[in-house]
Amino acid sequence: MYDAVFTERLRRPAVALVNAGFALDARSAASGKGMPGVRVVTETVPCECTEPDRIASGVHAVIDDIVAALTAPLTSDEQSPPPPETIGTEGIVFAGDLAEVQRFFYRRGWTDGLPIVPPTQAAVEEMLTGTDLPRDHLVGKMIPRLGKVTVEKIAVNAVMAGALPTYLPLLIAGVEALLDPRAAFGTFEVSTGSWAPFWIVNGPLREQLHVNGGQGALSPGDIANAAIGRAMGLIVKNLGGARKGLEDMGVQGNPGKYSMVTAENEEAIADWEPLHVQHGFQRDESCLTVSFPNSYLQIWPYGSDDKGILRAIMSNMVPRWRQLTLLLPPGHAQTLADAGWTKSELASYLYEYARVPAYRTPEFWGTPGMQRVRPPLNAEDPTPLLRSPASLRIIVSGGAGAFMGMAYGSSTWVTKPVTLPAGWDALVRKYRGLVPNHLRY
Amino acid sequence: MGGSYEVMSPWAEVDPIALEGINPRLPDLRGRRIGLFHNGKVAGKPINDAVEVELRARFGDEVTIARFGRTANLEVAETADRARYEEWVKEVDAVIHAVGD
Repeated sequence: MYDAVFTERLRRPAVALVNAGFALDARSAASGKGMPGVRVVTETVPCECTEPDRIASGVHAVIDDIVAALTAPLTSDEQSPPPPETIGTEGIVFAGDLAEVQRFFYRRGWTDGLPIVPPTQAAVEEMLTGTDLPRDHLVGKMIPRLGKVTVEKIAVNAVMAGALPTYLPLLIAGVEALLDPRAAFGTFEVSTGSWAPFWIVNGPLREQLHVNGGQGALSPGDIANAAIGRAMGLIVKNLGGARKGLEDMGVQGNPGKYSMVTAENEEAIADWEPLHVQHGFQRDESCLTVSFPNSYLQIWPYGSDDKGILRAIMSNMVPRWRQLTLLLPPGHAQTLADAGWTKSELASYLYEYARVPAYRTPEFWGTPGMQRVRPPLNAEDPTPLLRSPASLRIIVSGGAGAFMGMAYGSSTWVTKPVTLPAGWDALVRKYRGLVPNHLRY
Repeated sequence: MGGSYEVMSPWAEVDPIALEGINPRLPDLRGRRIGLFHNGKVAGKPINDAVEVELRARFGDEVTIARFGRTANLEVAETADRARYEEWVKEVDAVIHAVGD
């Protein structure tokens, strides 16, 4: 749609031909660019269709509409668009009891479906103690709506998610990571592929915030792991304006969009470089890394030695998803380290030997968007599953037990350092005692 | 549930955007040069192939067709192709954009 708006701005009539399921998305995109009247014709060609006959019949069905979109006179709204709906963005927007607040926020489409913590002024003020930045500091503008991501708005959404003030520096770094062009956030946040942001915390902050990188790190139960990812999801929705089924067109959706946060166990293998060090930061810096996998697989090793571990990893890598984050539990990491493996050697080895016959790859079949200049000639030609050794990141994460994790995607990893406020140590002391004390039975 | 909460808005402010209308349409496509643009998505180019077939069936040689295709689904105005696209648009009378999802 953005291209059709651009064409109109170049003083040529345009029409966008879109799948009927994307009509609302197209309309929202045009409005976001200030040209809500851009003409759209919806068709019913199956999504990403590769069959010429079905495409031909789908286009034939709407060719009259296409011609009309380029020739029918403009309506008054198309000539002079009416102002869009607006809702309050400043100050107090509602007062009511807890149930009324929940219903108000849910009806506005401001939640992730779960109840929120009411963002009162007092709660937001407390959240803001997590940064020295002024509340009106603009971290950036987030697509698709180009919403202004101020520190105060981050804090409001953080309160809603149940975050502690000590998480605020991480959330600000998270926004900076999303807005980094390398993250290709504009594609991954709204894509039909339902990519979910996967957040990895490195450095001293892991321990100070109790970010779980151990047993069951990706399961519910840890306030940091749960609230950091949740807050980032609310920020994307309420500040970026990416709403499910309107702008976020993920086909299946992704439970990882609730929260997918872990910490790297940097101490498990002292000789292995932590992720943030691999990305050029110092070991004693706290950093946050984001990538966008859309699938997560747990892998059971074929044996307990390094060969058994590697055989299982290689056998569970699949075609098409060619950038992978491998989560090794400390036990397997130790086994591999004891056998002399480093992270970079593992990545190079998996790039070289993790292959499938060419016929199992989309490249061999000439799938649109997956063609290569020099495709494999023979169906049985061994074809690598990674684009390069750099297409794999390995972190030590998880607890006791044999299962490994593999997050599959096609995005890169973007790491940002976390800036802490002057009174950080006192703030950590204030909140670090908040840990579960489970009954033993 | 007891207690009253005065709550702040989580919704972002945006800079006001000047709303723009769209361009007047063409009285007829006959005698015109129609641009077919696709954004690089899987079905984009084959949809434009089908659109060209339909336009030919309807208007024969009374329309001419110009193509502009992308290999990556990125906003053309934000890419190195911008200048080339602007030149291309000058040479056509209207553009049909195949989104190709």
